[in-house]
Amino acid sequence: MSFLGYIRSDDSVGTRNHVLVIPQGIIAKSVCDFVTGTKTLFTVDHGSGRTANDREQIARVLIGLGRNPNVASVIVHAASPGVGYPELYAERLVDEISAGGKRVELLDPAKDGGTYGAITKGIRLARRMVHEASKLRREKVGDDHLCIGVKCGYSDTTSGIAGNPAVGYLYDKIVAGGGTAMFGETTEIIGAEQALARRAATPEVAGKILRAVALREDRAKATGQDIRTVNPVPSNIKGGISSLEEKSLGAIHKAGSAPIRDVLRYAERPTGKGLYFVDNWMGHLSIFAGYAAAGANVVLFQLGGGGVAGRTLLEGSPSVVAPFLWATANPKTYAAATDSIDFYSGTVIEGSETPEEAGERLYRTVIDVASGTLTRSETLYYTEPVDMYLEEPRF
Amino acid sequence: MQPKRALIMHPHDNVATAVEEIGTGETVAVPLAGNALTLTAAEAIPFGFKLALREIPRGEIIRKYGETIGRATTVIAKGAMVHIHNLEGTRARGDLERGYGR
Repeated sequence: MSFLGYIRSDDSVGTRNHVLVIPQGIIAKSVCDFVTGTKTLFTVDHGSGRTANDREQIARVLIGLGRNPNVASVIVHAASPGVGYPELYAERLVDEISAGGKRVELLDPAKDGGTYGAITKGIRLARRMVHEASKLRREKVGDDHLCIGVKCGYSDTTSGIAGNPAVGYLYDKIVAGGGTAMFGETTEIIGAEQALARRAATPEVAGKILRAVALREDRAKATGQDIRTVNPVPSNIKGGISSLEEKSLGAIHKAGSAPIRDVLRYAERPTGKGLYFVDNWMGHLSIFAGYAAAGANVVLFQLGGGGVAGRTLLEGSPSVVAPFLWATANPKTYAAATDSIDFYSGTVIEGSETPEEAGERLYRTVIDVASGTLTRSETLYYTEPVDMYLEEPRF
Repeated sequence: MQPKRALIMHPHDNVATAVEEIGTGETVAVPLAGNALTLTAAEAIPFGFKLALREIPRGEIIRKYGETIGRATTVIAKGAMVHIHNLEGTRARGDLERGYGR
């Protein structure tokens, strides 16, 4: 199978054609408010007071978003608060993003007439870059250029028995087609790690999966609290999930059945194709920016329902440059938020479709979105802020 | 009256998941290897919640997807609901660690 995408100079393929302005701040925001076709991220983390490891993680997010195939070209600006750290020097971001041959422009308020001058120059540049990007045409490419990231959330029993199995079918199909698929949420594989370790491509990868879980479980125990007061979250329990293990065992169905090639850090790019486990955190404000920074050109939120059935509008989530799909198998969630949901697999519970049939329909939905059909959330301006996953204390 | 439906995820499971609202005393049919296991709901089981397929003694492992999802904190009658009031998770239990909390 194939989709229609934008072929980039490094042979990666985009499903969108954005001009990205980074990092966050008044310069990026002002340029993006003024010029259509642009994207930036909104986050409070500038690296100030963060450890070197966490600053490197922030740099990985920014560089990764810039390198994402959905980005045609990038404007990087200097002099955001906290830029004193070498990991986040604007010149470094420019060098690493442009290494793949992508056009990257630098705004430096010190040389460009201060903040006002940098904004003016940025608007002028961004208009030209957006216009230039629009000359590129979509071309037919193979599924091996798909790179997807998924999370399941507000999980309930419909997630484990229908929603996640449909995603699992999609994942197997993408991997079989030579593409790349990422899943993660380390806390939510506690209790299911042996089942995943058995699917590791090598004993080393199995060891990495088990170590990631052991580290996370030790941290949970070190709080002295029952994990059940944290996770499963109240909406999970209201939806019928009784323990973290039960949640985990349902959650891993979204990863299908392919071998797990490796374990990645947050925002780390896979080195090859296939299925990857990402040692990340479940928060949807965090995880999707991480997938996009790792190169995902489409991302998917498989939604349960439970406590959110009263929500009739689901906001766009901060995947920044990757089109974001909402999927659910919960009939109540779908009925409440039909306008916001891209894919419904409650048919499996109702008995009108098998998980495979629903999964095939989900695959076609993803191909359509990859080829240019907007996701429901893409019809909104509003997106939530990015909560970068940083693991070390602040000083 | 049509029996109500609940799904078993693996032949080794001792619980099934209700995929419709089940009332007290109603007959529940659980498809299993081409046949249907039939039992009576001992209490109301809401959509998405679990019921015991047989009596589960206190302390016994509760299985779904063929894997451990927790332990029975009390004896659970056949057809009764299985949830946080009678099932406890066994993983990441910081509250059970010596030297932390409590």
